[in-house]
Amino acid sequence: MAKEKILRHSGLVRLVHWSIALSTFTLIITGMFQLPLARRYFIDQLPGLFWTGDYSITVLVHYIAAAILLSAVSVHVVYHVIRKEYNLIPRKGDMKESYQIIKSMFGFCEEPKSDKYLAEQRLAYAYMAFSFLLILVTGVLKVIKNFPTMQFSETFLSWVTNIHNLATFMIIFGIFAHLAAFAIKANWPLLPSMFTGKVDLEYAKHRHSIWCIKGVGQKEKK
Amino acid sequence: MSNISRRSFIKRTVAAGAASGVILSGVNKIAGASETGSNKVGTLIDLTKCDGCKGQKVPACVTACKSKNESRFPEPVENIQNYWPQKKYENWSDKRDLTKRLTPYNWTFVQNVKVDGKEVSVPRRCMHCDNPPCVNLCPFSAMEQTPEGTTQVNPNVCFGGAKCRDVCPWGIPARQAGVGLYLKVAPKLAGGGVMYKCDLCYDRIKNNQSPACVEACPKGAISYGEKVELRKVAYEKAKDINGYVYGDKENGGTSTFYISPVPFEKIHKELEKQKATQPNPEAPGFPTMPVEVGNFLDTANGMASAVLLAPVATAFAAGITAYKTMKGKGEE
Ligand code: HEM
Ligand code: SF4
Ligand code: SF4
Ligand code: SF4
Repeated sequence: MAKEKILRHSGLVRLVHWSIALSTFTLIITGMFQLPLARRYFIDQLPGLFWTGDYSITVLVHYIAAAILLSAVSVHVVYHVIRKEYNLIPRKGDMKESYQIIKSMFGFCEEPKSDKYLAEQRLAYAYMAFSFLLILVTGVLKVIKNFPTMQFSETFLSWVTNIHNLATFMIIFGIFAHLAAFAIKANWPLLPSMFTGKVDLEYAKHRHSIWCIKGVGQKEKK
Repeated sequence: MSNISRRSFIKRTVAAGAASGVILSGVNKIAGASETGSNKVGTLIDLTKCDGCKGQKVPACVTACKSKNESRFPEPVENIQNYWPQKKYENWSDKRDLTKRLTPYNWTFVQNVKVDGKEVSVPRRCMHCDNPPCVNLCPFSAMEQTPEGTTQVNPNVCFGGAKCRDVCPWGIPARQAGVGLYLKVAPKLAGGGVMYKCDLCYDRIKNNQSPACVEACPKGAISYGEKVELRKVAYEKAKDINGYVYGDKENGGTSTFYISPVPFEKIHKELEKQKATQPNPEAPGFPTMPVEVGNFLDTANGMASAVLLAPVATAFAAGITAYKTMKGKGEE
Protein backbone atom coordinates (compact mmCIF):
# COMPACT_ATOMS: atom_id res chain seq x y z
CA MET A 1 0.00 0.00 0.00
CA ALA A 2 1.43 3.37 -1.00
CA LYS A 3 2.06 5.75 1.85
CA GLU A 4 0.25 9.04 1.86
CA LYS A 5 2.43 11.96 0.66
CA ILE A 6 2.42 15.69 1.07
CA LEU A 7 3.78 18.25 -1.41
CA ARG A 8 6.87 19.97 -0.06
CA HIS A 9 8.55 21.57 -3.07
CA SER A 10 6.76 22.81 -6.19
CA GLY A 11 8.18 22.12 -9.63
CA LEU A 12 9.60 25.62 -9.91
CA VAL A 13 11.34 25.35 -6.56
CA ARG A 14 12.92 22.06 -7.64
CA LEU A 15 14.01 23.56 -10.95
CA VAL A 16 15.64 26.47 -9.13
CA HIS A 17 17.35 24.12 -6.68
CA TRP A 18 18.88 21.95 -9.38
CA SER A 19 19.84 24.91 -11.54
CA ILE A 20 21.71 26.40 -8.60
CA ALA A 21 23.34 23.06 -7.76
CA LEU A 22 24.50 22.33 -11.30
CA SER A 23 25.64 25.84 -12.13
CA THR A 24 27.47 26.14 -8.80
CA PHE A 25 29.22 22.84 -9.39
CA THR A 26 30.23 24.02 -12.87
CA LEU A 27 31.38 27.37 -11.46
CA ILE A 28 33.56 25.69 -8.85
CA ILE A 29 35.23 23.47 -11.45
CA THR A 30 35.73 26.18 -14.06
CA GLY A 31 36.65 28.69 -11.33
CA MET A 32 39.45 26.41 -10.17
CA PHE A 33 40.72 26.26 -13.73
CA GLN A 34 40.97 30.05 -13.84
CA LEU A 35 44.02 29.38 -11.74
CA PRO A 36 47.03 28.07 -13.62
CA LEU A 37 46.53 24.46 -12.51
CA ALA A 38 45.60 22.33 -15.48
CA ARG A 39 48.83 22.36 -17.42
CA ARG A 40 51.10 22.51 -14.41
CA TYR A 41 49.60 19.33 -12.96
CA PHE A 42 48.99 17.60 -16.31
CA ILE A 43 45.22 17.60 -15.73
CA ASP A 44 44.72 18.64 -19.36
CA GLN A 45 46.52 15.46 -20.41
CA LEU A 46 43.83 13.26 -18.88
CA PRO A 47 41.33 11.81 -21.33
CA GLY A 48 38.49 14.22 -22.06
CA LEU A 49 40.00 17.02 -19.97
CA PHE A 50 42.01 18.89 -22.64
CA TRP A 51 39.68 21.90 -22.19
CA THR A 52 40.85 22.46 -18.61
CA GLY A 53 44.11 23.86 -19.93
CA ASP A 54 42.44 26.41 -22.19
CA TYR A 55 41.51 29.58 -20.30
CA SER A 56 39.38 30.78 -23.20
CA ILE A 57 37.11 27.75 -22.77
CA THR A 58 36.97 27.68 -18.99
CA VAL A 59 36.27 31.38 -18.70
CA LEU A 60 33.39 31.12 -21.20
CA VAL A 61 31.84 28.17 -19.38
CA HIS A 62 32.28 30.10 -16.14
CA TYR A 63 30.35 32.99 -17.69
CA ILE A 64 27.54 30.73 -18.96
CA ALA A 65 27.19 28.99 -15.61
CA ALA A 66 27.25 32.38 -13.90
CA ALA A 67 24.33 33.53 -16.06
CA ILE A 68 22.36 30.44 -15.02
CA LEU A 69 23.22 30.85 -11.34
CA LEU A 70 22.36 34.55 -11.35
CA SER A 71 19.05 33.82 -13.06
CA ALA A 72 18.15 31.00 -10.67
CA VAL A 73 19.00 33.13 -7.65
CA SER A 74 16.96 36.04 -8.91
CA VAL A 75 13.98 33.74 -9.56
CA HIS A 76 14.36 32.34 -6.06
CA VAL A 77 14.39 35.76 -4.42
CA VAL A 78 11.64 37.38 -6.49
CA TYR A 79 9.33 34.35 -6.36
CA HIS A 80 9.45 33.89 -2.61
CA VAL A 81 9.35 37.58 -1.77
CA ILE A 82 6.22 38.08 -3.88
CA ARG A 83 4.62 35.02 -2.29
CA LYS A 84 5.78 36.19 1.13
CA GLU A 85 7.37 32.81 1.84
CA TYR A 86 10.03 33.34 4.45
CA ASN A 87 10.24 29.81 5.83
CA LEU A 88 14.02 29.72 5.51
CA ILE A 89 14.79 33.02 7.19
CA PRO A 90 16.40 32.40 10.60
CA ARG A 91 14.24 33.14 13.63
CA LYS A 92 14.93 34.13 17.20
CA GLY A 93 16.11 31.16 19.21
CA ASP A 94 17.31 29.14 16.23
CA MET A 95 20.75 28.73 17.74
CA LYS A 96 19.36 27.23 20.91
CA GLU A 97 16.89 25.09 19.02
CA SER A 98 19.62 23.69 16.75
CA TYR A 99 21.56 22.73 19.83
CA GLN A 100 18.49 20.92 21.14
CA ILE A 101 18.01 19.06 17.88
CA ILE A 102 21.60 17.87 18.01
CA LYS A 103 21.19 16.79 21.64
CA SER A 104 18.04 14.92 20.72
CA MET A 105 19.92 12.96 18.08
CA PHE A 106 21.95 11.45 20.87
CA GLY A 107 18.82 10.75 22.83
CA PHE A 108 19.36 13.40 25.50
CA CYS A 109 15.99 15.01 24.95
CA GLU A 110 12.96 15.10 22.68
CA GLU A 111 13.38 16.77 19.32
CA PRO A 112 11.59 20.12 19.33
CA LYS A 113 8.65 20.50 16.95
CA SER A 114 9.64 22.06 13.67
CA ASP A 115 8.01 24.23 11.07
CA LYS A 116 8.62 23.53 7.36
CA TYR A 117 12.37 23.66 8.06
CA LEU A 118 14.44 22.74 11.07
CA ALA A 119 16.23 25.53 12.92
CA GLU A 120 19.53 24.19 11.55
CA GLN A 121 18.25 24.41 8.02
CA ARG A 122 17.37 28.06 8.50
CA LEU A 123 20.83 28.80 9.86
CA ALA A 124 22.48 26.89 7.04
CA TYR A 125 20.37 28.84 4.58
CA ALA A 126 21.54 32.14 6.04
CA TYR A 127 25.14 31.00 5.73
CA MET A 128 24.68 29.95 2.13
CA ALA A 129 22.71 33.06 1.21
CA PHE A 130 25.50 35.21 2.59
CA SER A 131 28.20 33.24 0.76
CA PHE A 132 26.27 33.41 -2.49
CA LEU A 133 25.72 37.13 -2.06
CA LEU A 134 29.48 37.57 -1.75
CA ILE A 135 30.28 35.41 -4.75
CA LEU A 136 27.60 36.99 -6.92
CA VAL A 137 28.49 40.59 -6.18
CA THR A 138 32.23 40.01 -6.63
CA GLY A 139 31.58 37.86 -9.71
CA VAL A 140 29.52 40.60 -11.35
CA LEU A 141 32.29 43.10 -10.53
CA LYS A 142 34.82 40.74 -12.11
CA VAL A 143 32.73 40.63 -15.28
CA ILE A 144 32.40 44.41 -15.34
CA LYS A 145 36.14 44.98 -14.84
CA ASN A 146 36.81 42.93 -17.99
CA PHE A 147 34.97 45.42 -20.18
CA PRO A 148 37.29 47.53 -22.32
CA THR A 149 36.01 50.81 -20.90
CA MET A 150 36.39 49.82 -17.28
CA GLN A 151 39.32 50.59 -15.06
CA PHE A 152 39.38 50.10 -11.30
CA SER A 153 42.11 50.68 -8.76
CA GLU A 154 44.37 47.82 -7.84
CA THR A 155 43.28 47.88 -4.20
CA PHE A 156 39.64 47.55 -5.16
CA LEU A 157 40.34 44.69 -7.55
CA SER A 158 42.36 42.73 -5.05
CA TRP A 159 39.51 42.99 -2.56
CA VAL A 160 37.14 41.71 -5.20
CA THR A 161 39.49 38.86 -6.13
CA ASN A 162 40.16 37.80 -2.57
CA ILE A 163 36.51 37.90 -1.53
CA HIS A 164 35.55 35.92 -4.66
CA ASN A 165 38.14 33.29 -3.77
CA LEU A 166 37.20 33.25 -0.09
CA ALA A 167 33.49 32.93 -0.89
CA THR A 168 34.36 29.97 -3.14
CA PHE A 169 35.73 28.14 -0.13
CA MET A 170 32.77 29.19 2.00
CA ILE A 171 30.46 27.68 -0.62
CA ILE A 172 32.46 24.48 -0.95
CA PHE A 173 32.33 24.10 2.83
CA GLY A 174 28.59 24.81 2.78
CA ILE A 175 27.99 22.17 0.11
CA PHE A 176 29.91 19.61 2.16
CA ALA A 177 27.81 20.40 5.20
CA HIS A 178 24.64 20.25 3.09
CA LEU A 179 25.52 16.81 1.77
CA ALA A 180 26.78 15.60 5.13
CA ALA A 181 23.36 16.35 6.58
CA PHE A 182 21.98 13.61 4.39
CA ALA A 183 24.36 11.10 5.91
CA ILE A 184 22.20 11.41 9.02
CA LYS A 185 19.43 8.85 8.92
CA ALA A 186 16.84 11.15 10.47
CA ASN A 187 17.07 13.37 7.38
CA TRP A 188 16.66 10.64 4.78
CA PRO A 189 12.91 11.05 4.36
CA LEU A 190 13.58 14.58 3.07
CA LEU A 191 15.64 13.33 0.15
CA PRO A 192 12.81 12.39 -2.24
CA SER A 193 11.25 15.83 -1.83
CA MET A 194 13.86 17.46 -4.06
CA PHE A 195 13.17 14.90 -6.81
CA THR A 196 9.43 14.18 -6.70
CA GLY A 197 8.47 17.21 -4.64
CA LYS A 198 6.78 15.05 -1.99
CA VAL A 199 7.52 13.67 1.47
CA ASP A 200 5.71 11.05 3.52
CA LEU A 201 2.82 12.59 5.38
CA GLU A 202 3.52 10.49 8.48
CA TYR A 203 7.11 11.75 8.63
CA ALA A 204 6.03 15.34 8.11
CA LYS A 205 3.39 15.13 10.83
CA HIS A 206 5.90 13.73 13.21
CA ARG A 207 8.85 15.99 12.52
CA HIS A 208 7.46 19.12 10.92
CA SER A 209 4.32 19.23 12.95
CA ILE A 210 4.06 23.03 13.00
CA TRP A 211 4.18 23.11 9.21
CA CYS A 212 1.65 20.28 8.94
CA ILE A 213 -0.80 21.88 11.32
CA LYS A 214 -0.63 25.10 9.30
CA GLY A 215 -1.09 23.27 6.00
CA VAL A 216 -3.84 20.96 7.23
CA GLY A 217 -5.60 23.84 8.89
CA GLN A 218 -5.69 25.68 5.61
CA LYS A 219 -6.97 22.69 3.73
CA GLU A 220 -9.79 22.20 6.16
CA LYS A 221 -10.83 25.81 5.83
CA LYS A 222 -11.37 25.44 2.09
CA MET B 1 46.44 71.23 -27.38
CA SER B 2 45.70 72.16 -30.94
CA ASN B 3 42.18 72.73 -32.14
CA ILE B 4 41.97 69.40 -33.88
CA SER B 5 43.26 67.48 -30.94
CA ARG B 6 40.87 69.25 -28.61
CA ARG B 7 38.01 68.30 -30.85
CA SER B 8 39.13 64.70 -31.03
CA PHE B 9 39.64 64.76 -27.29
CA ILE B 10 36.06 65.90 -26.73
CA LYS B 11 34.80 63.27 -29.15
CA ARG B 12 36.66 60.64 -27.23
CA THR B 13 35.40 61.80 -23.87
CA VAL B 14 31.87 61.66 -25.18
CA ALA B 15 32.54 58.22 -26.60
CA ALA B 16 33.88 57.03 -23.26
CA GLY B 17 30.82 58.33 -21.46
CA ALA B 18 28.50 56.78 -24.00
CA ALA B 19 30.43 53.54 -23.80
CA SER B 20 29.87 53.12 -20.10
CA GLY B 21 26.20 53.72 -20.78
CA VAL B 22 25.92 51.10 -23.50
CA ILE B 23 27.82 48.41 -21.69
CA LEU B 24 24.66 46.66 -20.68
CA SER B 25 23.51 46.45 -24.26
CA GLY B 26 26.68 44.68 -25.26
CA VAL B 27 28.16 47.39 -27.44
CA ASN B 28 31.53 47.61 -25.82
CA LYS B 29 34.09 47.62 -28.55
CA ILE B 30 34.50 51.32 -29.06
CA ALA B 31 38.13 51.56 -30.02
CA GLY B 32 40.31 53.50 -27.68
CA ALA B 33 37.43 54.75 -25.64
CA SER B 34 39.22 54.03 -22.41
CA GLU B 35 40.70 57.50 -22.27
CA THR B 36 38.81 59.49 -19.76
CA GLY B 37 41.14 62.43 -19.92
CA SER B 38 44.54 63.52 -21.02
CA ASN B 39 46.40 61.69 -18.26
CA LYS B 40 46.83 58.62 -20.46
CA VAL B 41 50.36 58.32 -21.75
CA GLY B 42 51.80 56.42 -24.66
CA THR B 43 54.79 55.88 -26.87
CA LEU B 44 55.39 56.08 -30.59
CA ILE B 45 58.08 53.89 -32.10
CA ASP B 46 59.10 55.14 -35.50
CA LEU B 47 60.64 52.31 -37.51
CA THR B 48 61.74 54.74 -40.18
CA LYS B 49 64.09 56.27 -37.61
CA CYS B 50 65.27 53.23 -35.63
CA ASP B 51 68.28 51.55 -37.23
CA GLY B 52 68.74 48.98 -34.47
CA CYS B 53 71.84 50.91 -33.35
CA LYS B 54 73.80 49.46 -36.18
CA GLY B 55 77.44 48.85 -35.34
CA GLN B 56 76.79 48.70 -31.62
CA LYS B 57 76.85 45.36 -29.82
CA VAL B 58 73.75 46.14 -27.83
CA PRO B 59 71.20 48.80 -28.88
CA ALA B 60 71.19 51.90 -26.70
CA CYS B 61 67.57 51.42 -25.59
CA VAL B 62 68.28 47.88 -24.41
CA THR B 63 71.36 48.96 -22.46
CA ALA B 64 69.48 51.87 -20.92
CA CYS B 65 66.63 49.60 -19.84
CA LYS B 66 69.00 47.09 -18.32
CA SER B 67 70.92 49.61 -16.27
CA LYS B 68 67.82 51.49 -15.22
CA ASN B 69 66.15 48.33 -13.92
CA GLU B 70 69.15 46.36 -12.71
CA SER B 71 68.31 46.83 -9.06
CA ARG B 72 64.91 45.22 -9.65
CA PHE B 73 66.18 42.13 -11.40
CA PRO B 74 65.48 38.85 -9.60
CA GLU B 75 68.08 37.30 -7.29
CA PRO B 76 66.81 33.73 -6.98
CA VAL B 77 67.64 31.29 -4.19
CA GLU B 78 70.40 28.83 -4.88
CA ASN B 79 68.58 25.54 -5.09
CA ILE B 80 65.49 26.23 -7.14
CA GLN B 81 62.96 23.40 -7.04
CA ASN B 82 61.21 21.87 -10.00
CA TYR B 83 57.61 22.84 -10.74
CA TRP B 84 56.26 19.57 -9.34
CA PRO B 85 55.04 17.29 -10.96
CA GLN B 86 56.99 18.73 -13.89
CA LYS B 87 60.69 18.15 -14.09
CA LYS B 88 61.70 21.70 -14.91
CA TYR B 89 61.71 25.31 -13.78
CA GLU B 90 62.27 28.58 -15.58
CA ASN B 91 65.62 30.06 -14.82
CA TRP B 92 67.32 32.94 -16.63
CA SER B 93 69.67 33.95 -13.85
CA ASP B 94 72.60 32.27 -15.57
CA LYS B 95 71.74 34.00 -18.86
CA ARG B 96 71.55 37.57 -17.65
CA ASP B 97 73.44 38.90 -20.64
CA LEU B 98 70.94 37.72 -23.25
CA THR B 99 69.76 40.72 -25.23
CA LYS B 100 68.12 39.03 -28.20
CA ARG B 101 64.88 38.10 -26.48
CA LEU B 102 62.72 39.06 -23.49
CA THR B 103 63.86 37.60 -20.19
CA PRO B 104 63.40 38.61 -16.55
CA TYR B 105 66.74 40.38 -17.01
CA ASN B 106 65.96 41.98 -20.36
CA TRP B 107 62.65 43.79 -20.69
CA THR B 108 63.17 45.12 -24.20
CA PHE B 109 65.05 43.91 -27.25
CA VAL B 110 65.35 44.75 -30.92
CA GLN B 111 64.32 42.47 -33.77
CA ASN B 112 65.86 42.90 -37.22
CA VAL B 113 64.05 41.81 -40.36
CA LYS B 114 64.47 42.34 -44.05
CA VAL B 115 61.21 43.10 -45.85
CA ASP B 116 60.90 44.13 -49.51
CA GLY B 117 64.63 44.83 -49.61
CA LYS B 118 64.35 47.18 -46.64
CA GLU B 119 66.04 46.49 -43.33
CA VAL B 120 63.69 47.16 -40.48
CA SER B 121 64.57 47.15 -36.77
CA VAL B 122 61.76 46.71 -34.31
CA PRO B 123 62.25 47.47 -30.60
CA ARG B 124 59.94 45.18 -28.63
CA ARG B 125 58.49 45.22 -25.14
CA CYS B 126 55.11 45.36 -23.39
CA MET B 127 52.54 47.33 -25.43
CA HIS B 128 50.68 48.68 -22.37
CA CYS B 129 47.28 47.66 -23.65
CA ASP B 130 44.04 49.57 -23.11
CA ASN B 131 42.17 46.54 -21.78
CA PRO B 132 45.07 44.36 -20.66
CA PRO B 133 44.09 40.69 -20.30
CA CYS B 134 47.24 40.15 -18.21
CA VAL B 135 45.89 42.54 -15.57
CA ASN B 136 42.25 41.51 -15.86
CA LEU B 137 42.84 37.80 -15.57
CA CYS B 138 45.58 37.54 -12.98
CA PRO B 139 44.01 35.26 -10.35
CA PHE B 140 45.92 37.03 -7.58
CA SER B 141 45.41 40.60 -8.81
CA ALA B 142 49.17 40.90 -8.86
CA MET B 143 49.08 43.10 -11.94
CA GLU B 144 47.91 46.63 -12.14
CA GLN B 145 46.87 49.12 -14.78
CA THR B 146 47.88 52.56 -13.57
CA PRO B 147 45.72 55.67 -14.06
CA GLU B 148 48.19 56.69 -16.77
CA GLY B 149 47.34 53.51 -18.66
CA THR B 150 50.60 51.63 -18.13
CA THR B 151 50.63 48.10 -16.75
CA GLN B 152 52.94 46.58 -14.16
CA VAL B 153 53.59 43.50 -12.07
CA ASN B 154 53.63 43.71 -8.30
CA PRO B 155 56.62 41.46 -7.51
CA ASN B 156 55.50 41.05 -3.88
CA VAL B 157 52.16 39.51 -4.83
CA CYS B 158 52.99 37.68 -8.06
CA PHE B 159 52.93 33.89 -7.64
CA GLY B 160 54.46 33.13 -11.01
CA GLY B 161 51.62 31.09 -12.50
CA ALA B 162 52.37 32.83 -15.82
CA LYS B 163 48.69 33.17 -16.72
CA CYS B 164 49.42 36.76 -17.78
CA ARG B 165 51.87 35.45 -20.36
CA ASP B 166 49.35 32.88 -21.63
CA VAL B 167 46.66 35.50 -22.23
CA CYS B 168 48.97 38.18 -23.66
CA PRO B 169 48.86 38.05 -27.47
CA TRP B 170 52.62 38.59 -27.50
CA GLY B 171 53.54 36.45 -24.48
CA ILE B 172 55.43 39.41 -23.02
CA PRO B 173 55.89 38.79 -19.27
CA ALA B 174 58.94 36.63 -18.52
CA ARG B 175 59.22 34.30 -15.56
CA GLN B 176 62.03 33.69 -13.11
CA ALA B 177 61.78 30.83 -10.64
CA GLY B 178 63.26 30.86 -7.16
CA VAL B 179 62.00 34.33 -6.18
CA GLY B 180 58.83 35.76 -4.71
CA LEU B 181 55.90 34.92 -2.52
CA TYR B 182 55.53 31.29 -3.56
CA LEU B 183 58.77 30.43 -1.78
CA LYS B 184 57.04 31.26 1.50
CA VAL B 185 54.00 29.05 0.83
CA ALA B 186 54.61 25.66 -0.78
CA PRO B 187 57.44 26.16 -3.26
CA LYS B 188 57.53 22.53 -4.27
CA LEU B 189 53.82 22.21 -4.94
CA ALA B 190 52.51 25.55 -6.22
CA GLY B 191 53.66 28.75 -7.84
CA GLY B 192 56.53 29.35 -10.17
CA GLY B 193 58.35 32.58 -9.36
CA VAL B 194 57.72 36.15 -10.41
CA MET B 195 56.89 37.68 -13.79
CA TYR B 196 58.96 40.57 -15.13
CA LYS B 197 58.28 43.04 -17.90
CA CYS B 198 58.54 46.68 -18.96
CA ASP B 199 56.56 49.06 -16.74
CA LEU B 200 57.16 52.03 -19.05
CA CYS B 201 59.53 53.31 -16.36
CA TYR B 202 56.59 54.21 -14.18
CA ASP B 203 58.76 55.84 -11.52
CA ARG B 204 60.33 58.09 -14.14
CA ILE B 205 57.10 59.13 -15.83
CA LYS B 206 55.58 59.89 -12.43
CA ASN B 207 58.55 62.22 -12.07
CA ASN B 208 57.80 63.93 -15.38
CA GLN B 209 60.77 62.25 -17.02
CA SER B 210 60.48 60.15 -20.14
CA PRO B 211 61.29 56.43 -20.03
CA ALA B 212 64.97 55.50 -19.99
CA CYS B 213 64.88 53.88 -23.44
CA VAL B 214 63.25 56.96 -24.95
CA GLU B 215 65.92 59.19 -23.51
CA ALA B 216 68.76 56.90 -24.59
CA CYS B 217 67.85 56.53 -28.24
CA PRO B 218 70.35 58.46 -30.40
CA LYS B 219 67.91 58.58 -33.30
CA GLY B 220 64.91 59.85 -31.41
CA ALA B 221 63.02 56.83 -32.68
CA ILE B 222 60.83 56.47 -29.62
CA SER B 223 58.62 59.34 -28.49
CA TYR B 224 56.80 59.52 -25.23
CA GLY B 225 53.79 61.71 -24.48
CA GLU B 226 50.06 62.06 -24.31
CA LYS B 227 48.52 58.99 -25.83
CA VAL B 228 45.75 60.71 -27.80
CA GLU B 229 48.29 63.04 -29.33
CA LEU B 230 50.78 60.28 -30.26
CA ARG B 231 48.04 58.22 -31.85
CA LYS B 232 47.14 61.15 -34.06
CA VAL B 233 50.77 61.79 -34.97
CA ALA B 234 51.23 58.10 -35.79
CA TYR B 235 48.41 58.10 -38.32
CA GLU B 236 49.48 61.41 -39.81
CA LYS B 237 53.04 60.25 -40.29
CA ALA B 238 51.91 56.89 -41.65
CA LYS B 239 49.80 58.73 -44.18
CA ASP B 240 52.73 60.94 -45.16
CA ILE B 241 55.08 58.06 -45.82
CA ASN B 242 52.40 55.78 -47.20
CA GLY B 243 53.15 53.50 -44.29
CA TYR B 244 51.44 51.49 -41.59
CA VAL B 245 50.51 51.69 -37.92
CA TYR B 246 50.70 48.82 -35.43
CA GLY B 247 49.37 48.86 -31.88
CA ASP B 248 46.17 50.85 -32.26
CA LYS B 249 43.88 48.06 -33.38
CA GLU B 250 45.75 45.16 -31.79
CA ASN B 251 44.49 43.52 -28.60
CA GLY B 252 41.60 45.99 -28.53
CA GLY B 253 43.96 48.96 -28.54
CA THR B 254 47.29 49.67 -26.88
CA SER B 255 49.27 52.76 -25.97
CA THR B 256 52.26 51.84 -28.14
CA PHE B 257 52.13 52.91 -31.78
CA TYR B 258 54.62 51.60 -34.31
CA ILE B 259 54.98 53.35 -37.67
CA SER B 260 56.49 51.31 -40.46
CA PRO B 261 57.22 51.90 -44.15
CA VAL B 262 56.44 48.23 -44.85
CA PRO B 263 53.29 46.28 -44.00
CA PHE B 264 53.27 44.62 -40.59
CA GLU B 265 51.90 41.44 -42.15
CA LYS B 266 55.26 41.04 -43.84
CA ILE B 267 57.23 41.88 -40.71
CA HIS B 268 55.12 39.31 -38.89
CA LYS B 269 55.92 36.63 -41.49
CA GLU B 270 59.65 37.30 -41.17
CA LEU B 271 59.44 37.20 -37.40
CA GLU B 272 57.63 33.89 -37.56
CA LYS B 273 60.47 32.48 -39.61
CA GLN B 274 63.01 33.78 -37.10
CA LYS B 275 61.01 32.43 -34.21
CA ALA B 276 61.09 28.98 -35.78
CA THR B 277 64.90 29.06 -35.66
CA GLN B 278 65.08 30.01 -31.97
CA PRO B 279 66.67 27.47 -29.61
CA ASN B 280 63.17 26.64 -28.36
CA PRO B 281 60.65 27.84 -30.99
CA GLU B 282 57.72 27.17 -28.65
CA ALA B 283 59.03 29.38 -25.86
CA PRO B 284 57.61 32.87 -25.32
CA GLY B 285 60.00 35.82 -25.23
CA PHE B 286 60.31 36.29 -28.97
CA PRO B 287 57.04 38.01 -29.92
CA THR B 288 55.77 38.21 -33.49
CA MET B 289 53.47 40.94 -34.85
CA PRO B 290 50.06 39.47 -35.68
CA VAL B 291 48.04 42.26 -37.28
CA GLU B 292 44.74 43.13 -35.58
CA VAL B 293 45.17 40.30 -33.12
CA GLY B 294 42.06 40.09 -30.94
CA ASN B 295 41.75 40.52 -27.20
CA PHE B 296 41.52 37.39 -25.09
CA LEU B 297 38.37 38.74 -23.49
CA ASP B 298 36.49 39.61 -26.72
CA THR B 299 34.24 36.53 -26.66
CA ALA B 300 33.67 36.67 -22.92
CA ASN B 301 32.79 40.35 -23.09
CA GLY B 302 30.44 39.72 -25.97
CA MET B 303 28.64 37.30 -23.70
CA ALA B 304 28.84 39.36 -20.56
CA SER B 305 25.75 41.38 -21.36
CA ALA B 306 23.83 38.10 -21.30
CA VAL B 307 25.36 37.26 -17.93
CA LEU B 308 24.20 40.58 -16.54
CA LEU B 309 20.81 40.73 -18.25
CA ALA B 310 19.65 37.12 -17.81
CA PRO B 311 18.83 37.54 -14.11
CA VAL B 312 16.77 40.64 -14.82
CA ALA B 313 14.69 38.83 -17.43
CA THR B 314 14.17 35.72 -15.32
CA ALA B 315 13.35 37.78 -12.23
CA PHE B 316 10.61 39.41 -14.23
CA ALA B 317 9.25 36.04 -15.37
CA ALA B 318 9.44 34.72 -11.82
CA GLY B 319 7.52 37.72 -10.58
CA ILE B 320 4.70 37.07 -13.00
CA THR B 321 4.63 33.36 -12.18
CA ALA B 322 4.56 34.00 -8.46
CA TYR B 323 1.76 36.51 -8.85
CA LYS B 324 -0.31 34.20 -11.03
CA THR B 325 0.05 31.13 -8.83
CA MET B 326 -0.91 33.19 -5.82
CA LYS B 327 -4.03 34.58 -7.44
CA GLY B 328 -4.99 31.30 -9.03
CA LYS B 329 -4.63 28.72 -6.33
CA GLY B 330 -4.57 30.68 -3.16
CA GLU B 331 -1.95 29.48 -0.71
CA GLU B 332 -0.21 26.25 -1.22
C1 HEM C 1 29.40 29.24 -6.88
C2 HEM C 1 29.74 30.23 -7.61
C3 HEM C 1 31.14 30.60 -8.02
C4 HEM C 1 32.34 30.02 -7.70
C5 HEM C 1 32.57 28.82 -6.83
C6 HEM C 1 33.36 30.77 -8.39
C7 HEM C 1 34.72 30.51 -8.29
C8 HEM C 1 35.68 31.17 -8.98
C9 HEM C 1 37.09 30.96 -8.84
C10 HEM C 1 37.75 29.97 -7.90
C11 HEM C 1 37.72 31.78 -9.71
C12 HEM C 1 39.22 31.88 -9.98
C13 HEM C 1 39.92 32.81 -9.12
C14 HEM C 1 40.00 34.20 -9.65
O1 HEM C 1 40.24 34.41 -10.86
O2 HEM C 1 39.84 35.12 -8.85
C15 HEM C 1 36.70 32.53 -10.39
C16 HEM C 1 36.94 33.47 -11.36
C17 HEM C 1 35.95 34.25 -11.94
N1 HEM C 1 34.62 34.32 -11.60
FE1 HEM C 1 33.73 33.06 -10.36
N2 HEM C 1 32.78 31.78 -9.09
C18 HEM C 1 31.43 31.71 -8.89
C19 HEM C 1 30.47 32.54 -9.39
C20 HEM C 1 30.71 33.56 -10.28
C21 HEM C 1 29.70 34.42 -10.79
C22 HEM C 1 28.23 34.34 -10.43
C23 HEM C 1 30.32 35.28 -11.65
C24 HEM C 1 29.75 36.41 -12.48
C25 HEM C 1 28.59 36.92 -12.38
C26 HEM C 1 31.72 34.97 -11.66
C27 HEM C 1 32.69 35.60 -12.40
C28 HEM C 1 34.01 35.25 -12.42
C29 HEM C 1 34.98 35.77 -13.32
C30 HEM C 1 34.71 36.82 -14.39
C31 HEM C 1 36.19 35.12 -13.04
C32 HEM C 1 37.54 35.05 -13.71
C33 HEM C 1 38.22 35.69 -14.55
C34 HEM C 1 38.39 37.10 -14.14
O3 HEM C 1 39.06 37.38 -13.12
O4 HEM C 1 37.90 37.91 -14.90
N3 HEM C 1 31.92 33.91 -10.82
N4 HEM C 1 35.47 32.15 -9.92
S1 SF4 D 1 65.10 52.52 -30.75
FE1 SF4 D 1 66.89 53.87 -30.81
S2 SF4 D 1 68.22 53.03 -29.25
FE2 SF4 D 1 66.73 51.43 -29.72
S3 SF4 D 1 67.67 50.25 -31.34
FE3 SF4 D 1 66.45 51.75 -32.37
S4 SF4 D 1 67.90 53.42 -32.74
FE4 SF4 D 1 68.85 52.14 -31.18
S1 SF4 E 1 51.37 43.61 -24.09
FE1 SF4 E 1 50.85 41.78 -22.94
S2 SF4 E 1 51.81 42.11 -20.96
FE2 SF4 E 1 51.75 44.11 -21.95
S3 SF4 E 1 49.80 45.03 -21.26
FE3 SF4 E 1 49.38 44.00 -23.20
S4 SF4 E 1 48.65 41.98 -22.56
FE4 SF4 E 1 49.71 42.85 -20.80
S1 SF4 F 1 60.04 51.97 -20.78
FE1 SF4 F 1 61.58 51.57 -19.21
S2 SF4 F 1 61.16 49.48 -18.59
FE2 SF4 F 1 60.15 49.75 -20.55
S3 SF4 F 1 61.59 49.10 -22.09
FE3 SF4 F 1 61.90 51.29 -21.85
S4 SF4 F 1 63.49 51.47 -20.29
FE4 SF4 F 1 62.71 49.38 -20.19
